[in-house]
Amino acid sequence: MFKQNKFTVSHAPFWHDGDSIKEMNLNIMAAALPATLFGIIQFGMAALGVVCLSIASAMAWEALFCVAAKRPIVIHDYNAAVIGMLFGMMLPATLPWWAVITGTFVCIVIGQQIFGGIGGNPFNPTLIGMAITSLSWQHLFDFNTALVNYQLTFTALDPLAALKHQGASVVAMFPTSSLLMGKQIGAIGSIFAAGLIAGGIYLIIRGYIRWEITLSYIAGIVVTAWIFNITDPVKYATPMFHLLTGYTLLGAFFLANETSSSPVNLIPMIIYGVIGGCLTILIRNIGAYPDGTIYAILFINLINPLIDKIRPKAFGTIRPKNSGKECKQCVK
Amino acid sequence: MIKRSFIGLTEPKLKCDLVEPGPKEPEAIPIPPRLILLLNEPLDSTKETLVKKGDMVNKGERIFLYKESKEYVAAPVSGTITTVAPFTGDFGELATYLVVETNAKQDIHKSFTESISIPDIQTADSYLRGIAGNPPLKLLAEAADGAKSNGINIKKIIISGIDQDILCTTRQFALTRFRDELSKAVAFLKQLTGISDISIVMPDALAKLSAFNGMNIVKISSDYVDSLSPMLMDKYLGISFVPGKTCEELGLCFISVEALFSLVKSYSQKEPVYEKIITIIDKKGKKSRVSATIGTPIHRIFTKIGVETAEKDRIIIGGPLRGVAAYTLYYPVTPDMDTLMVQDSSVIPTISDYPCINCGKCVRICPTNVPVNVLVRYLEANLYQDAADSYDLFSCIECGLCSYVCSAKIPIFQYIRLGKHELNKIELEMIKEAENV
Repeated sequence: MFKQNKFTVSHAPFWHDGDSIKEMNLNIMAAALPATLFGIIQFGMAALGVVCLSIASAMAWEALFCVAAKRPIVIHDYNAAVIGMLFGMMLPATLPWWAVITGTFVCIVIGQQIFGGIGGNPFNPTLIGMAITSLSWQHLFDFNTALVNYQLTFTALDPLAALKHQGASVVAMFPTSSLLMGKQIGAIGSIFAAGLIAGGIYLIIRGYIRWEITLSYIAGIVVTAWIFNITDPVKYATPMFHLLTGYTLLGAFFLANETSSSPVNLIPMIIYGVIGGCLTILIRNIGAYPDGTIYAILFINLINPLIDKIRPKAFGTIRPKNSGKECKQCVK
Repeated sequence: MIKRSFIGLTEPKLKCDLVEPGPKEPEAIPIPPRLILLLNEPLDSTKETLVKKGDMVNKGERIFLYKESKEYVAAPVSGTITTVAPFTGDFGELATYLVVETNAKQDIHKSFTESISIPDIQTADSYLRGIAGNPPLKLLAEAADGAKSNGINIKKIIISGIDQDILCTTRQFALTRFRDELSKAVAFLKQLTGISDISIVMPDALAKLSAFNGMNIVKISSDYVDSLSPMLMDKYLGISFVPGKTCEELGLCFISVEALFSLVKSYSQKEPVYEKIITIIDKKGKKSRVSATIGTPIHRIFTKIGVETAEKDRIIIGGPLRGVAAYTLYYPVTPDMDTLMVQDSSVIPTISDYPCINCGKCVRICPTNVPVNVLVRYLEANLYQDAADSYDLFSCIECGLCSYVCSAKIPIFQYIRLGKHELNKIELEMIKEAENV
């Protein structure tokens, strides 16, 4: 027998649509870039430092944990980078370096790696990090004090904190156009609403986030805020104000959609989104915190496994149309 | 390879290829000096085989492994057997392969010629298994013979003019090639099987041809999964699919157009037909068609029509979504081999051991609403029974689309097939045990 070539043997399918986790994560980062860049321009080098440190330390923590846990190092899939970037976007530009590093440690290690890494986390890792750090050092996350040294040309007040303390009269101080164009104070990546919307629409068109979750989350916000607003317009702000301030848009397009902590079936996605939006407004309007996005999304992450059990009947498990044959699944 | 489009708002829709208009006749591959035959029965080292090295066989002669064997393979040429060796299939199923060295003088074995006065399914099963297209004679014969039917009662025969994968066109080619003789062939099939409920399925683009007027035609769309048997049965024939049951168990029998015409020709020429039509798809996607004797090693076909293969390429028997990879160019042409495809090593996609990230693309694309994202977690943990009980493992019709779109590149399709295979194996063992008690 003469020399034979060795062929690649594997199982079907032999085609793949070419998508990958890396591709998805790079797209998410690209979509988050406009809002982040705007924040960096607004808040200067300090903001750039925070975002870069956040991304870098998130990747470093993942690599370190993988070494310690004797797992293959997979930072090249940019999963840690996405978590780090979103975490960085949620921070005030003046956050000290040690808080950033501690925060990414919580995000990566406690939020994701101890559950088995990518795909295993029951909660959005970024939000775990945010919740723990913001509760631990509340004074660092008060945007009014954090950004007190900036000379800004617009109303230098955190819209949500102002709303909490002074009621809906403050809404007039923040016209919709200036909120859209980023003329508000807040976290590095959350102030430029137009940029977040553009990035989000890009991700929806590319199919990298589930538009059902985003839309139902926004619908939940708008409807709940509207109900509050018509019951007492003096106390509660308009839906548009809620939509364009705080972490709302970041949550709708980037946080509620985190793949492993959100549902995949249509009805669950809608329930998940609506509850998330509704809770955000409830916390803002009658809860203790100025911004409820973090806890609202963590809560819907919690109910995700339960509601995702609502799913369409699989092929053949619907009772047969014409034959009297009993089917396995129906009997059970 | 069809890649993801820039706009990913909806799931990709794959279309099956249609046979080209005015197809050329397949190029005939000469009978090679050596043929390889696969016999669907494992070798047993404790017993002496009937067939031995050096035995002479005539064309059409049946080769049995042991005296009490029921399985046979017919020799497609006259020749001398030079090897009898064990063979392992894709899922570890054991078989035997035989090498036949072709003789210069070709004699036809007489037994079939002598016993074919009237078409009858039992004689057809005794002599014609494994002719080109692999007609399901064993199934039909057992179903007709009440004692062996195992509860299978075939009520309807479907002549299939559609292919089972997106790039394949062999059956469609056979349909257009033999379209003028189809009504006669249907009448023959009625006579042979005694089953009068016969339909022909074909892509609706081909159903416009005038040759099919007046026949019992089922037109199906060219959307990819519509052509798969369970989907076709449920969507177009009104027979509800039952998870865990095959179409045959539900009373349907599929026979490809080519298999039907092999049967018709075998009877009219009084000689079994062993020339199989195969569509070859080269690395650039160019298609050509050949007609090769069953048992021909595939390298003969590639050399003849100038398809080059290099180290680390992939040779696929069947289509890109449901085929099987061959590890050697000495793999023989089998009776049901419709398509051969060569994939260049540079375009072979990788698979990974990533966990599922729950992106939901598989759930969106699954034509049968299987919760693939949860199912795959159970299958990865070897919890096959739980997967079947709670997460619809047996609703899967094996289209391969979930693996095609998986961002984490998990071999989901293989996990599903493995799960089904393991469960079926356990079931068979339990049946065997019950019989022994």
